[in-house]
Amino acid sequence: MLLSVSGAQNGLDVDLEIAVDASRTGDAGVPYGEELLAFATEANRRSDSLPDAREALRAAVGHEGLLEAAATVAIFNGLVRVADGTGIQLDPSMVTSTVETREKLGIENFGGAANSIDASTQPRRTSTEPVKSLFD
Amino acid sequence: MTEVHAATDADAAAIVASAVERARASLVGPGDWLTGAQRRAAWVEARDARTNELDQQRRAAISPNAVDGSHLATNDLSAAAVEVVHRMASDPGRLTRQWADEAMVDLGDATYTELVGVAATSATVDMFDWAMGDTDAPIGDAVDGEPAKVRPDSVGPVGAWVHQSLETTTANVSRSLSLVPVTNGPWVGLVDGLYSRGPGFFDMTWDRALSRPQVELVAARTTAELECFY
Repeated sequence: MLLSVSGAQNGLDVDLEIAVDASRTGDAGVPYGEELLAFATEANRRSDSLPDAREALRAAVGHEGLLEAAATVAIFNGLVRVADGTGIQLDPSMVTSTVETREKLGIENFGGAANSIDASTQPRRTSTEPVKSLFD
Repeated sequence: MTEVHAATDADAAAIVASAVERARASLVGPGDWLTGAQRRAAWVEARDARTNELDQQRRAAISPNAVDGSHLATNDLSAAAVEVVHRMASDPGRLTRQWADEAMVDLGDATYTELVGVAATSATVDMFDWAMGDTDAPIGDAVDGEPAKVRPDSVGPVGAWVHQSLETTTANVSRSLSLVPVTNGPWVGLVDGLYSRGPGFFDMTWDRALSRPQVELVAARTTAELECFY
């Protein structure tokens, strides 16, 4: 998961269980994590508490930070649907490297797990040229 | 090849706004196999799924197949198309290959994929406006014109439910809509503008208003709320 990787590279000890479980409280080890998680949860649920969560996040990270958070909630609403609707498999680099994390967090119980039962673990990329974007 | 951006934080707002505007326009214009009126109708149906009684009953059931009933055709969309949009919008985490295969018998794989793209794009633009201000994105009038009706040569079976580009070297999600290039263009623009921003995707210590772990924290909670395995 990119949360684990980016957390480690930024010197953070990220609590993934808090990150994916809305019944848990705390900042997950990420600066302003509590405000970010509350905003993400309330936005996804379109709850009546969203305005309060939005203003709390704006006070914590500023308007530009709020914009980035809203953009992230939004695009992952789309990415989830594209992934689930087209039945894509886990990428080769993720199949073996995230086994323990998927089991620990209960992600293996999600319906989409069935799509990756026979996913390849062979690296797809053969070129040594640096990748320029997600869409190379 | 789709143009991508290398963004600084200073123009992030403009990049997001541009990507959202392009995507909104694409949802009411001619697509790959659907007309602008059909794509617009699919967007409206996706919104209806939030409060639709059948969708709510399915969502609450232990399995969506345990609930009797089906969605009806509209003036612009077949019943199969309405079904795809409503399930995509309301319960994406419990879609199955069998369900998708049955939908593709009625719709064809390309139209099915286009509907997936429309549902995903509309979910994104509506959620962005909602997250920022408690409203959905405005829906424009349908734009006349014929769908492109072009099936790319460079697609094939890659392990997903639908044919996708055979050439991708990065993440599977980056090629998920490659079967429908007219739909894929604005979608790639959305992903790039709202999240990945060209080479920034590979930078785990980027310098934006939110750090990379902060963005990934929001992403992790969102995917968990929607029960997405990928």
